[in-house]
Amino acid sequence: MSWLQRHIRPEQIRELSLLLLIIVAVLFFGSMIDGYYTSRTFNRIVSSIAIITIVAVGQTLVVLTRNIDLSVGSIVGCTAYAVGTVLGHYPGISPLLAVVMAVALGSLIGVVNGALVAWGRVPSIIVTLGTLAIFRGLLVDLSNAKTVTTDSLPPWLVNLPRLNMFSLFGLDIPALFLMSVIVVLIFHLGASYLSLGRRFYAIGSNPDAAALIGLPIRRLVFLAFVLSGSLAGLAGFVTLARFGNITVESGRGLELQVVAAVVVGGVNIFGGSGTVIGAMLGAIMIGTLEQSLYRLQISEFWRDAILGLLILLAVASDAVILQRLRALWGRADLKYVAPAGKPSLEGAHIP
Amino acid sequence: MTEPNAAFKSTIAPTGVAATSERRSVLETRGIAKQFDATQALDDISLSLYPGEVHALLGENGAGKSTLIKIITGVVQPDRGEILLAGDRVSLRSAADAQLAGIAAIYQEPLLFPDLTVAENIFVSHQNRGAVVRWARMYQEAEAILAELGVAIDVRSPARGLTLAAQQSVEIAKAISLNVRVLIMDEPTASLSAHEVAQLFKLVRRLRDNGVSILFVSHRIEEVFEIADKVTVFRDGRLISTRPKSETSPQRSIADMVGREMGLLKPRPLSPRGDQLLSVRGLGRDGAFEDVSFDLHRGEVLGFGGLIGAGRTDVGLALFGIEPATAGTITLNGKEVTIRSPREGMDLGIAYVSEDRRQLGLSLPMSISANITLPMLHQYLDRFGLIRHDKEQATAEAFRKRLSIRTSSVDLAVAKLSGGNQQKVMLSKWLNTRPSVLILDEPTRGIDVGAKAEVHAIIAELAAEGIGIILISSDLPEVLAMSDRVLVMREGRAMAIFERKDADQETVMTAAMGQSSAVAGEVAA
Repeated sequence: MSWLQRHIRPEQIRELSLLLLIIVAVLFFGSMIDGYYTSRTFNRIVSSIAIITIVAVGQTLVVLTRNIDLSVGSIVGCTAYAVGTVLGHYPGISPLLAVVMAVALGSLIGVVNGALVAWGRVPSIIVTLGTLAIFRGLLVDLSNAKTVTTDSLPPWLVNLPRLNMFSLFGLDIPALFLMSVIVVLIFHLGASYLSLGRRFYAIGSNPDAAALIGLPIRRLVFLAFVLSGSLAGLAGFVTLARFGNITVESGRGLELQVVAAVVVGGVNIFGGSGTVIGAMLGAIMIGTLEQSLYRLQISEFWRDAILGLLILLAVASDAVILQRLRALWGRADLKYVAPAGKPSLEGAHIP
Repeated sequence: MTEPNAAFKSTIAPTGVAATSERRSVLETRGIAKQFDATQALDDISLSLYPGEVHALLGENGAGKSTLIKIITGVVQPDRGEILLAGDRVSLRSAADAQLAGIAAIYQEPLLFPDLTVAENIFVSHQNRGAVVRWARMYQEAEAILAELGVAIDVRSPARGLTLAAQQSVEIAKAISLNVRVLIMDEPTASLSAHEVAQLFKLVRRLRDNGVSILFVSHRIEEVFEIADKVTVFRDGRLISTRPKSETSPQRSIADMVGREMGLLKPRPLSPRGDQLLSVRGLGRDGAFEDVSFDLHRGEVLGFGGLIGAGRTDVGLALFGIEPATAGTITLNGKEVTIRSPREGMDLGIAYVSEDRRQLGLSLPMSISANITLPMLHQYLDRFGLIRHDKEQATAEAFRKRLSIRTSSVDLAVAKLSGGNQQKVMLSKWLNTRPSVLILDEPTRGIDVGAKAEVHAIIAELAAEGIGIILISSDLPEVLAMSDRVLVMREGRAMAIFERKDADQETVMTAAMGQSSAVAGEVAA
């Protein structure tokens, strides 16, 4: 086994190659579009990435458990609209409270999804396809199709997208993007270093074995949907800050971008494997494509079609590529060695 | 390492096997009974497992071994009876309960998490390792446990792609990390190579010498007598005998296993052997079976005996073209043929009645007539290509009379029929293809005694009409009563072919379980 094979897993190769692909994409669009390498382009792209990333983190948790949450776009729209309306009426509300409200509302909607999937035993694709339409319908009905407008919002919120935390290589890093990176870090650490996080992987990897060792599968699935909902809520807040004008159409179609980000990022659609970092790389890829194709004046429909193609390519190639890589890495073989020490097996003592 | 049994352990003076005179059982079942629908799966099972002992469990398929394992591991709850752990009554309501009590099971196909690392798989069921995963420490501990077992696996790699032997080692390491006191091994050697079996047995002996009680279930009788200290035999849900190995023998155990009454089964009269219909030489499919040879004559019933998983169904699937053979020749009516799909099988006059009525055999929501005509639907079309229901119904009615399918109408959904009548519909469906070779896979499994007798009568009748019948059945008395000759398979190979007069339950079971001494009779008549 070479040094490379000892220190890097096939799954990480996949993430590294995605990173490479992003760089290639940026170079490609840079050669196609005049004035691509400007801070304005950068700002647009990372703002877009921030929203996709935050939602994709929650989606990753759900997909790990062999489920899917298609209602995220509607959750983003609902929370953006609701928080925007409240802020319009009570401009004195503190920024922190506004964020808490968005997250709480998102979780609440996630509770509905999670309960239906975990205890109602309805497949998640059906549940969230239903709630996608229902939440959007409720939004249209309750809002009377009115629009939240920028001038009704408090100044701190309107200025939030232009708030930069620091500069990196001459590029200003917007606060909202930084927030998404923090979300990614928190959830990445949680997924890799908390028992809870590892259990999301376990139940998606082999549900039968998980049931046999008594893992609380339903509660874990429920929790995944609640977390997905709360992160979609947070993304709703970011959407409100970024666009200011929130119509009932807000967040529509976001599920396509988010699912694309997750599967392009290497999260296995059949559950059990993938990382939050990978999902973020996927979101960066999708966000870059979206904004760059927009700049190339490619129609929205073609952009969606390209996303659909990417999803199909990612899922179809995933199995093949990973299989090849794993074969290249070789299986972890069993070797018989002399038993260590005197037989002192724990638990082998009997009264 | 954390200890789920801390309270338990504190009262323990470490002993090995040493104190043999007054050993307390580590696990005892008293009067366990379990019924599934109409079947008494287990009846009054009282069994004691002692520390430092390998206790083998023998029995035919359906004898109740798996049900007992499920009850001991908390997966299934008994109807009656109690379980005692080191003398105390316990109730095991879930698999997690059993695990906390120090009972672990390893199955033929290990249940690992393919995406988690080897180390995580070992520790995944520890409920109290804290909320934060300390990876470095976990890797170290996993390596230490595997080293104690005398195996080395990269604990950082995911479990996906591990060989079966490696997966079993991980399962055993998992059990040990949980302070296992009772380790159940359900056919652990079924898919292992000889070398791996030898290594596994070394491990089993080490565990035994450290005071673990091992319940060892296997169909390989030589292995049982190599590893076991005690042998218990189950038959039809009852415990027939428990004997120390020194007081029993493979022959005696087999006699206990098959001592079933022939009961109401009347032997079918032998038929005069007709012309040769089918001749199979050296048939094989990679990974399923190899080198199977036999002849089938017109009007003959050739029984396929053996245990579940011996490859009998695979031979049937190959002959019908569902899973085509990769080696050997099939000669039908003197002409060599290749069968690569069920369509080709059907066109050659071969029909296969699946063992799995619900999954593969019938479309339950569809009507009786639609089910019967499905394989031959092209013969039921009018000149516009539309289905002629009158013709369908006529066919269905004919079969309803011929096989006495009890139903108010042939338009009824098959789901509404009893198991026996469903079986008759499935038979009708394949008889409608006018086969010359009929393969019946477990045709009487799960149907009641009356329906069983009817199916037997139908088989006799079909044979008398000149159809060559291959009867695959795990019901040994049935095979013996119905067949002109019996081919016995074991682990993908044909072990022997017996004439009816030479075949009794013991000779067939002995061949099926691989006691080579008893293998007599000519292979490939």
